Amino acid sequence: MGAGTPPLPGPPKPQVKALNCPKCGAAITLRCFGQAETVVCGSCRCILDAKDPHLAILQQFERQTSDTTSLIPLGTRGKLRGTDYEVIGFQRRHITVEGVTYSWHEYLLFNPYKGFRYLSEYNGHWNDISICKQLPMVQSAFSTAAGSSANYLGEDYKHFQTSDANTDFVLGEFPWQVRVGEHAVITDYVHPPRVLSSEKLDKEVTWSIGEYLYGREIWETFRLPGSPPEAVGVYENQPSPVTINVTSIWLAFAAFAVFLLVLMVGFDLRAKKEPVLHETYQYDRAEAKSETSFVTDVFELTGRTSNVQVKTHAPVDNHWIYLNYALINQDTGEAWDFGREVSYYHGYDSDGSWSEGKQNDSVVIPSVPPGHYYLRIEPEADSSLPSIPYAVDVIHDVPVFGIYGIAFLVLLVPPLLISWRAFAFERSRWSESDHPPLQLSGMTSSSEDDS
Amino acid sequence: MFRKLYLLFGFLTLSTAAFGQYRGWSLDSVNQLKNVPKSVRDNPGSYRSVYSGYHHYTGGK
Repeated sequence: MGAGTPPLPGPPKPQVKALNCPKCGAAITLRCFGQAETVVCGSCRCILDAKDPHLAILQQFERQTSDTTSLIPLGTRGKLRGTDYEVIGFQRRHITVEGVTYSWHEYLLFNPYKGFRYLSEYNGHWNDISICKQLPMVQSAFSTAAGSSANYLGEDYKHFQTSDANTDFVLGEFPWQVRVGEHAVITDYVHPPRVLSSEKLDKEVTWSIGEYLYGREIWETFRLPGSPPEAVGVYENQPSPVTINVTSIWLAFAAFAVFLLVLMVGFDLRAKKEPVLHETYQYDRAEAKSETSFVTDVFELTGRTSNVQVKTHAPVDNHWIYLNYALINQDTGEAWDFGREVSYYHGYDSDGSWSEGKQNDSVVIPSVPPGHYYLRIEPEADSSLPSIPYAVDVIHDVPVFGIYGIAFLVLLVPPLLISWRAFAFERSRWSESDHPPLQLSGMTSSSEDDS
Repeated sequence: MFRKLYLLFGFLTLSTAAFGQYRGWSLDSVNQLKNVPKSVRDNPGSYRSVYSGYHHYTGGK
């Protein structure tokens, strides 16, 4: 191209045309290119027709509703599930149940290649929502009845709530003709951490699938300052804090109980239960004025350290006898001192016949080493009892079933606590539903996978 | 994680129960003493049980 040659006319450069609100003149930003149907003026809150080059006013709503602040400012970008999204719209919706209004916020996210998805926030509980890829199957003629469910991609969702939702605040762009006062019937089915929702607007039904997110995940995604609002209560699809499969814990408990039974039978069969002393004595009050204590013959405990059972039988009848016992090791002087009462009372009164106590007593002395032993016995008895025989049996190495009972209870504690925690959480979840806990059946088990 | 902890907990509980049974543990309370004089065998009255003077039940319902 020579000097002085005028340049060839090229294609016209694209011109940026400023968009302004036809009502207040404020600048309007369109972030989702030509996909927005409506855009809301951030200044005067007029809902404008985004398809109209002149941004015709579609609706104006009352200024007093504009006090809602978006936790994520419009235009904020973040990477959600590996894809960059920009927040382009925000709306507040509410339902009224039994005179109480519950409001939640919805954020519209946009990616030029992936399209739209939504975030909802209620009392600090967040959901990542996208439109269903296929139509869910509702498996009940009465889709809102307790126990009704819907199936989506092979997963069953239980009906949680059906309610009339109203939109009372909008801001930003929307790919539909959004209006304040818009009314829709929303039905939620849950399978934590997912929620399946149908939204019926006039004759159009839209199904969406949401997944529970924690506030901190949102804050990290959009790099928001500060910290997210604290989650209040339990949300419909909030994952249970009991992240384990409760059934698997009960199965483990059952296995332990079987092992415990095997141990019990094994030790019972293995225990020597060796009688080492059997004597019958007579308590005589006439002789009791002098020294009543005496010692038994020496008996030998053989084998390993084990327990010793001392059994007492006395045919008391509305009387008592008390025996001060001491099991004494003849070789070492080590002793086990204990007192046992045998008493048996019975009678008849206005309530009928009654009885208390028994004629037998048993005590197990723990961990007695092998050696030569004798018992020192010092009897005392009811002053009205002139004379009474009593028998003393000493048995070496006996099973103590109470140990198994304690082990059983100890093993039972964790499954009970876990089950109670899971139950309480589910109870709290379903108390907010159309099917509160009184009608609850089969909804208390934790459905989350084992961690 | 919890399941593994519970399995460990259960194993320890069963082991403790088995050990206790082997060693002859008991749920009854007795008072263990050392160095009881050998003279007790010849003179039982020279020893007094700590349970002597126990206040006995003397009535029924």
